[in-house]
Amino acid sequence: MNYKPDESALMAYLYGEVEGPEKEKIEQYLLQNPEARKDLEKFKALRSIMGSVKDKEVIAPPIFIDQPKQNVFRNSPYLKTVMSIAASLLLIMIVGKITDTKVHYSDHELKISFGETNKPNPAETHPVAMLTTNQVQQMINASLNENDSSMQNRWKDSQQELDASIKKNLLKNSDRLDHLVHEASTASQQQIQGYVAGLQNENMNLVKDYFQLTSTDQKKYIEDLLIDFAKYMKQQQNNDLQVVQTRLNNLEKNTDIFKQETEHILSSIITNRNNSTTKGINN
Amino acid sequence: MAETLLDIAMMHSDALIHRAKQGDQNAQGRLVQLWYKRIYNFGYKFFVDHDLAMEVSQKTFISMCRNLQGLQDIARFKPWLYTIVVNYCREEARKKKNNRSASFDVVWDSEAENSLPWEVSGRRADDPEKQLQQSELSDILQDALLQLNAEQREVVIMKEYEGLKFREIAEILNVSENTVKSRMYYGLDGLRKILERKNINKETINYEL
Repeated sequence: MNYKPDESALMAYLYGEVEGPEKEKIEQYLLQNPEARKDLEKFKALRSIMGSVKDKEVIAPPIFIDQPKQNVFRNSPYLKTVMSIAASLLLIMIVGKITDTKVHYSDHELKISFGETNKPNPAETHPVAMLTTNQVQQMINASLNENDSSMQNRWKDSQQELDASIKKNLLKNSDRLDHLVHEASTASQQQIQGYVAGLQNENMNLVKDYFQLTSTDQKKYIEDLLIDFAKYMKQQQNNDLQVVQTRLNNLEKNTDIFKQETEHILSSIITNRNNSTTKGINN
Repeated sequence: MAETLLDIAMMHSDALIHRAKQGDQNAQGRLVQLWYKRIYNFGYKFFVDHDLAMEVSQKTFISMCRNLQGLQDIARFKPWLYTIVVNYCREEARKKKNNRSASFDVVWDSEAENSLPWEVSGRRADDPEKQLQQSELSDILQDALLQLNAEQREVVIMKEYEGLKFREIAEILNVSENTVKSRMYYGLDGLRKILERKNINKETINYEL
């Protein structure tokens, strides 16, 4: 039996998408080939591991779909033309309304007018015709008189008012002027005083600052000097101490050497002595 | 894959699709609600990126609502929908490829991969341990998926996570069924090798979990 399922068949088997004799063939093959079985087991293991990837929870956001039909209608050139004609008509109507345009066509003539037309009003002229000239004259006179008197009265009133207001204004202005002059004079005195005081203060501050600055400088300089001097002294002291120390060390060394030499001499003397005594004894 | 209420609702949505096809916006909305999670998760596994997955899902459903009228056979709705999403995924992947700048997530992920496991776990200290390991494993797997080439990745996600039949996948990708199976084989093989390199197998997982 030399049937060998290919990759595709194995995959189909792994996902249970093989049926009937094909499935049996694959199972037979797997029974006979432990290697292939192992491979398949590996795939199965992988699938179980892959199962640990869970779906992410997500909430569907609202999806808005514009209606294409409406768009087509809106974008159609016919509608655009119609709408533009309507818009221009509306514009014309509005302009006509504002300027009060009137168009007349009568007696073979066309009249276009803006604003109100000056039509003679027959209703007004009619009663006048019934009055006599005298009456009219009287009425005109009366009204003129009335007008005159009222004008005079008004004029007088206004003149009085004007006088009063002029007087008031004059008074106010003079008062204000006086006040201003007074203020100015006092202010100038005060200003001068303030200026002088400011100058003095400034000078004082300047001098003070200068003295302070110089004094602090001097202080610092002296402090530095003292510190330097102290340092110098200390250095000197240290040097001296070192010298003394080395002297002492030298002395100690010398004494040590001296001691050693003495010991040496002593020991040599003793041995000599001993030798001589033993010699003596031997002799 | 455990069948949830959503899965059952998805299986019996023929009437809904029919109404949506006739332009019922309410039905279209319900259809989006039904399928959004699946489509989003497909996109997410494809890119391992929330924003891209959201974008692809949005585009897919907008396209679905526009073109549903053209769908001949209601029974073919599922492969039809996946065809749309696969196309958008490829488009986005192309765009991403042209856009040479690496996203911050990618940089960060590679860093996390190189760091020691306890350093990675440190950033999710609040989670219970098991959940943490689960999510770590999930991250590793998704990372491994991302290392496959796009053709294999599509097939593996559709087969393993979306539970589509090989026949359906072949229809979606417009290739032969054998090609799909072959891609699946090499995809799984590739995944296995990647995981072996990381020393992840059933024993270590069982030990950890």
